[in-house]
Amino acid sequence: MMATMLGNEVHGDTSTRAGLYVHVPFCSSICPYCDFSVTLAGEPRRAQWERSLLDEAAMYAGHGLEFDTVYFGGGTPSALKIDRLARVVNGLTQRLQIHSDARFFIEVNPEDVKPESTRAWRSLGFSSVSVGVQALDDPALEFLGRRHTADQARRSVTDLLGAGFDNVSLDLIFGLPGQTRSGWSGQLREAARLGAHHLSCYQLTIHRGTIFGKRKEAGLMGEMGEWPQAELYRLIHEVLGTAGFEGYEVSNFALPGHRSAHNMKYWTGVPYLGLGPGAHSFDGAAKRWWNRRKVRLWQRDIERGCCPVEGEETLTERQRALETLMLGLRTADGVDLASLEKRFLVDVIRSNAVTISDLEAEGLISRRGDLIAPTPAGMAVADALVRAILIEEVEPEPVPVIVPDVRG
Amino acid sequence: MEKTRSFCIIAHIDHGKSTLADRLIQHCGAVEDREFRDQILDSMDLERERGITIKSNTISLEYTARDGETYNLNLIDTPGHVDFSHEVRRSLMSCEGALLLVDASQGVEAQTMANMYLALEHDLEMVPVINKIDLLSANIERVKEEIEEDLGLDSDDAVLCSAKTGEGVEDVLEAIVNQLPPPEGDPDGPLQVLIFDAQYDPYRGAVLLVRVMNGTFRKGQRVLFMHTRAEHTVEELGVLKLKRQAADSLSAGDVGYVIAGIKSVSDINIGDTVTDLAEPADEPVPGYRESKPVVFSSVYPMATDEYGELTKALEKLKLNDAALIYEKDSSQALGFGYRCGFLGLLHLEIVQQRLEREYDLSLLLSAPSVRYRITLNNGEKLWIDNPSMYPDPTTIDTVEEPFIKAAIMMPDRYIGSVMELCRDRRGEETSFNYLSAGRVELTSEMPLAEVLFDFYDKLKSTTQGYGSFDYEMLDYRVTDVVKVEILVNTEPVDPLSQLVHREKARARALHYCDRLKDTIPKQQFKIAIQGAIGGTIIARSTINAFRKDVTAKCYGGDISRKRKLLEKQKKGKKRMKMVGNVEIPQSAFIAVLKSDTD
Repeated sequence: MMATMLGNEVHGDTSTRAGLYVHVPFCSSICPYCDFSVTLAGEPRRAQWERSLLDEAAMYAGHGLEFDTVYFGGGTPSALKIDRLARVVNGLTQRLQIHSDARFFIEVNPEDVKPESTRAWRSLGFSSVSVGVQALDDPALEFLGRRHTADQARRSVTDLLGAGFDNVSLDLIFGLPGQTRSGWSGQLREAARLGAHHLSCYQLTIHRGTIFGKRKEAGLMGEMGEWPQAELYRLIHEVLGTAGFEGYEVSNFALPGHRSAHNMKYWTGVPYLGLGPGAHSFDGAAKRWWNRRKVRLWQRDIERGCCPVEGEETLTERQRALETLMLGLRTADGVDLASLEKRFLVDVIRSNAVTISDLEAEGLISRRGDLIAPTPAGMAVADALVRAILIEEVEPEPVPVIVPDVRG
Repeated sequence: MEKTRSFCIIAHIDHGKSTLADRLIQHCGAVEDREFRDQILDSMDLERERGITIKSNTISLEYTARDGETYNLNLIDTPGHVDFSHEVRRSLMSCEGALLLVDASQGVEAQTMANMYLALEHDLEMVPVINKIDLLSANIERVKEEIEEDLGLDSDDAVLCSAKTGEGVEDVLEAIVNQLPPPEGDPDGPLQVLIFDAQYDPYRGAVLLVRVMNGTFRKGQRVLFMHTRAEHTVEELGVLKLKRQAADSLSAGDVGYVIAGIKSVSDINIGDTVTDLAEPADEPVPGYRESKPVVFSSVYPMATDEYGELTKALEKLKLNDAALIYEKDSSQALGFGYRCGFLGLLHLEIVQQRLEREYDLSLLLSAPSVRYRITLNNGEKLWIDNPSMYPDPTTIDTVEEPFIKAAIMMPDRYIGSVMELCRDRRGEETSFNYLSAGRVELTSEMPLAEVLFDFYDKLKSTTQGYGSFDYEMLDYRVTDVVKVEILVNTEPVDPLSQLVHREKARARALHYCDRLKDTIPKQQFKIAIQGAIGGTIIARSTINAFRKDVTAKCYGGDISRKRKLLEKQKKGKKRMKMVGNVEIPQSAFIAVLKSDTD
């Protein structure tokens, strides 16, 4: 069954090892903006999740992938009891081929950062931690429905740094109603001062079906206008740039050497396997698939011995080219159009010559030979950049027929 | 013939015409209940969606009346919009009577009046039918008064019904049998067959819908089309049930269809009279009026390789849209297309949508225009309806534009604002007289060009829907016209060029600039939109560049959702035309034609 999913061999760049994502769908409370697969379920359901997750991992045993990043995301992985987390980590190591140098990541909430849990995470092998700070400002935290205070958040960062995590990342949300330039740049400066190695800054997006979504439908709240949003976004590059951070992806900023090795895999076409409800996977070549989002359905499939996959797709060359372009234009490394053309048999350079020089003249992209990369202003409009650049399929060149000269 | 009744239903939009038609069909058992689909006659998607009937459809029903006799009822469906008065006329010519449908809660409205006058012109017997009597807001007494006062019909004859519940539908059928006259005509006289509609059958070619006025029409007969002088042999004829039902002959008073191996559009002229080739009638059926296209616009395929398909589609469409005329045209920016003549702006929009939906084409239309008469300095005279053909202004001596005599009927409380509207539209000799207490007819001599551009919409909103409007062509009068060009990032967009009266040029250019600003999507750079006469800029607007347009999270590996969204957006680009480096969506070309009030 799995062989059909993942193929018998890995087609992608085999020199780069795969990423493993584990979705922990449990939270102590549901944030009003969150549209991930999460639930408030208690210990019995968590025990079932643990069993199903390890059963799902077993389905992929022997598929030939070797992982060098393992990422526990959620939900709230830090809300898992340590013994359960330990059993999952060990269980995965037994069932899948995880490289001895693999880097382990965990997402944590500030209120879960306590001396004993911090020690335990370190001893389980986690070296990178991403803290759901969201804001360093109490009214904003209250608006976002978070259970921690700004002080708790600051303390958690200091404690994690003290515990020896070598990559401490903070999640921040911007674009809250009424947020000011000075308020936002103050938070960014403070995050840098706290000693974070990495920052993920997400714009508040109101999704349908969330509590914020319902408030928006009722006309009680809305997203910030485009121009103020753009201004807050520009400030991130400005403030963090001054503090030595590189904006290496639309929402991600890192001190040198601290890019997220796991998340980079999503953006560069490296294979990854997602376990748990709603998790996404990619075989590194042309196949993407995603799990059932509802915890119950995901679990039921596994208990029946079937693959809990909700959907899958096989990408055409053109779709792969579009993805490569789309993801490349979201990262500072950009995309090399010449190799894109060669890999996917498409034309981009010739048919977009005018567009590309226009975009460069507008200061939205920089260009080195055939490599184009977004500037900070370009990242702010990355979706528009991809829309502007057309990908034309190229007819395969006819094989030249050599006609022998019979006249002698 | 005594047992035949041919009738149509006329009504204001939304007064329940199609629903009543369905109910009559159902009552006569022409269709099994289980296969009954609401509003059977409105077969085109577009009609269902808009809730208005555009194309006439016809059906013959058998009804056994209370007197025990079985009658053959020919129901002829008619469109209900002023643009289509031409099509209504054709349908009316094949009837002896009409059901005048009035909504029991809305009462007599503008279109009811306008259509009734058309029906009177054709000497049709009329039965008022008050529909929707099941509504709580129904006020039957008031509607009866309006029928007496506004329409001058005897309200005692009015039939009460609810097409929705079926109540009174049999009374309607009885009224058709008892109040409408049977057809006249001589089955043994010289053959006179009126073509009142046509359909296209992919296997059989043109299918003509006809009413036999005199004589008997037989299979195999050699016939002559009196207007086009074309000769054909009748391959098949018959009556229209829900499907076509072949017969050996049709005789005076019958309504049915004819297939005569007609493939070429130019052989058909709706309204034409068919007669016997060997023993022709002396005269065609009288009362035929040629359709008069008054709005001209160029139609281009979005993709240049669809030109051939556009050609075929227009040919087929022309078959059952007699009012449409077209000829070859080309544009520097858009390539080959057709210059088309339409009855009005709604007609234009409907033709466009039918071409797009029924023939799966994606189109661009240029700004609509009237036809100008131009005298050059050297005395040469030109007819121009296409701004791209407009000569160098320094070579022009005089320009004349068509004037119409507009007749607007409305309750007298609106007279002040309607006179204001006419003045604003360069109306001359505006006057009015009372038709009856509270109801006036206003006449005004206006340039046709002023009527083209959102006049109906303005009139409708000014009179809250109570104003009805009709017009006749008067003459050509000297005018002062300039060619306004629209530039996008300094590149002229030739389909948006137009000829406008000098006084109106700035306002029109501003309107275009604003509309384009609202419909051209933001791009990665600033877009300047300008209106110009010659080299002089008279209006401008600016579309700012994107400053923020990016999905925050491309995270957790869900790349598919994001890519699919992009694919959808990229697909939308196919419906855009590049002018310079700016993408102009098709919707922008349509939006500029609309009124600024909607």
